[in-house]
Amino acid sequence: MGHALRSYGTLIGMAAVILFFWVMLPDTFMTARNWINLSQQMSMLIVVATVMTVVMAVGDFDLSVGAMASLAGVVAAVLFAQGHGIAVAVAAALAVGLLGGALNGALVSLLGILPFVATLATLTIFSGVAFLVSDGKTISGRAIPEAFAGFARGGIVLGGGERPLVLSWLAILAFLGVALVWLVLEQTSYGRRLYALGGNMEAARLAGIKVARLRLTAFLFTGVGAAVAGLMYAARVASANPTQGDGLMLTAIAAVFLGMTMTRGGQPRVLATLAGVVVLGVMDNGLTQLNVDSYVREVLVGAIILAAVSISAIGRRAVGMR
Amino acid sequence: MALTFSRRAAVGLGFVASVAFAGAAAAEGERIAVITPYLAQPGTQFYVEAFQARAGELGWEVNVIDTAGDVAAVISRMEDVVNQGVDAIVLNVDPAQVGAGLDAAAAAKIPVFGMDAGADARIQANITSNGYAMAAETAVYVANRIGGAGNVVMFTFDPFPPVQVRGVIADAVFGNYPDIKVLDRITPDVADGGIADARAKMEAVLAANPEPGSIKAVWAAWDQPALGALQAIEAAGRQGEGIVITGIDANPQARDEIAKGGNFEASVAQDFAGIGRTTADTVARVLGGETLKANVIYVPTKLITAANAAE
Repeated sequence: MGHALRSYGTLIGMAAVILFFWVMLPDTFMTARNWINLSQQMSMLIVVATVMTVVMAVGDFDLSVGAMASLAGVVAAVLFAQGHGIAVAVAAALAVGLLGGALNGALVSLLGILPFVATLATLTIFSGVAFLVSDGKTISGRAIPEAFAGFARGGIVLGGGERPLVLSWLAILAFLGVALVWLVLEQTSYGRRLYALGGNMEAARLAGIKVARLRLTAFLFTGVGAAVAGLMYAARVASANPTQGDGLMLTAIAAVFLGMTMTRGGQPRVLATLAGVVVLGVMDNGLTQLNVDSYVREVLVGAIILAAVSISAIGRRAVGMR
Repeated sequence: MALTFSRRAAVGLGFVASVAFAGAAAAEGERIAVITPYLAQPGTQFYVEAFQARAGELGWEVNVIDTAGDVAAVISRMEDVVNQGVDAIVLNVDPAQVGAGLDAAAAAKIPVFGMDAGADARIQANITSNGYAMAAETAVYVANRIGGAGNVVMFTFDPFPPVQVRGVIADAVFGNYPDIKVLDRITPDVADGGIADARAKMEAVLAANPEPGSIKAVWAAWDQPALGALQAIEAAGRQGEGIVITGIDANPQARDEIAKGGNFEASVAQDFAGIGRTTADTVARVLGGETLKANVIYVPTKLITAANAAE
């Protein structure tokens, strides 16, 4: 019983949430159009939560992803404003992400600073640099190339005639990211070593795994992933300001935790994280369509997270008592 | 005969049914979504509340959605309410940043309105205050107070378009008086809000023009430089020279100074509640089938002087 609750509690809860909205919104919720909307709304969060899964698999944390997303967007926008092309701006933003990730990794793995503290510090640094680079302003309008903003609006047309159904490039990019990270974590020895590190760092060290180097590389994923998400965000709003990605961090961590309630051994797994993102995205989407007050919506989302984690904890205790 | 009768009865029944249906539809009311990232800001709250009050009178069901500063979420919520099939969307965000959402609404033929948002071809109308008119109010106030003659110091900020238009109008008004001379047209550094640097710049102007009466007035394109100029004049001990100061926006600090009856004599207040009400009325016009000619609708503003600053 406890085991079933633990393994399937969140999945059952997820199904219940979806069923609830399906019944309450019979005409609009379970439609291709709505799920296509959802896929692009969730795309940035999917990317950040997916890479967050990598560092959390190692047992670490990265609080700086939101600030990095903001910084990457601002870096690209400032380069656009200076007349640089899309390739240069995107490459520079990704480079900033890689450097930031390397900095986080070095602080945590080489200097041995607690990830919570190290990435809290870099969060502040990235955020400050974003303000410096942008002068605190929102960069928008003609400075942003049409093709860059157009990327967020385009995609593969799936039909629909007069109001075409378009699977957006943003969603496709997010799913590619999930597939890539899934492959790396689940199908390579590199991924298995990351999980070994997360399971028991000392044992991994004794087993001959190069702990410091491996731990550092995990942060490269969050750095680059956050930069990608920041660029996606900037394209979607055709503008960039120094705080726009900040909200991604807590939601991404919430999604990973939600996902962890449905995996064996409570490990962070990419597909479980994706399910966590879907729960959060569906809540926002469904409750908006039900005209639920924005602030009530936030309370409900928090309550759902607590409920999922509680059920999982109760299930674990039941297993333990047996 | 029997046939005609039954046909008539059927028509009658159909009529009753359609009336009942229409009645049910009317009772349900139009569904309007108001989406903003800025609900926490005082001005936004004023117009959203006024919008809701007017919508209540019109029998609408209003869903106010606050994305707490997240502009991408505004697009997401626009997609959601488009999918939900609302009758109209009201935005309070720069339309240039939510183009994807505007496209979604346009594809579904759902009208979008701006409540102090900015103009865009995909927006039926933006309801806001007229920056040109606000500047004209204070510029002619200054010209009349100094009898159309004397030296005026201007504080402007051309890099920000909504403030730039104010400066243009003041230039025109002062230029129309042959005996008014614009002594200096200053762009203060606004990194700290504009008060401190405006004060420093004004101190320099005062030092360069030590004769009483050599500066008749200070016209500022918004309240902060007006407050800075006031501080400079008071610090120099020249508040007795009758230098007239005006600002725009009528923020609480400016209202306090104006109410004291000192040098800071006038500012202009936007009618936030009026913007909310007029937005609701404009939505009603479009839902009623009207096509709007103007896609910017201005709500009158109000000159604030010592007579009404405490209101």
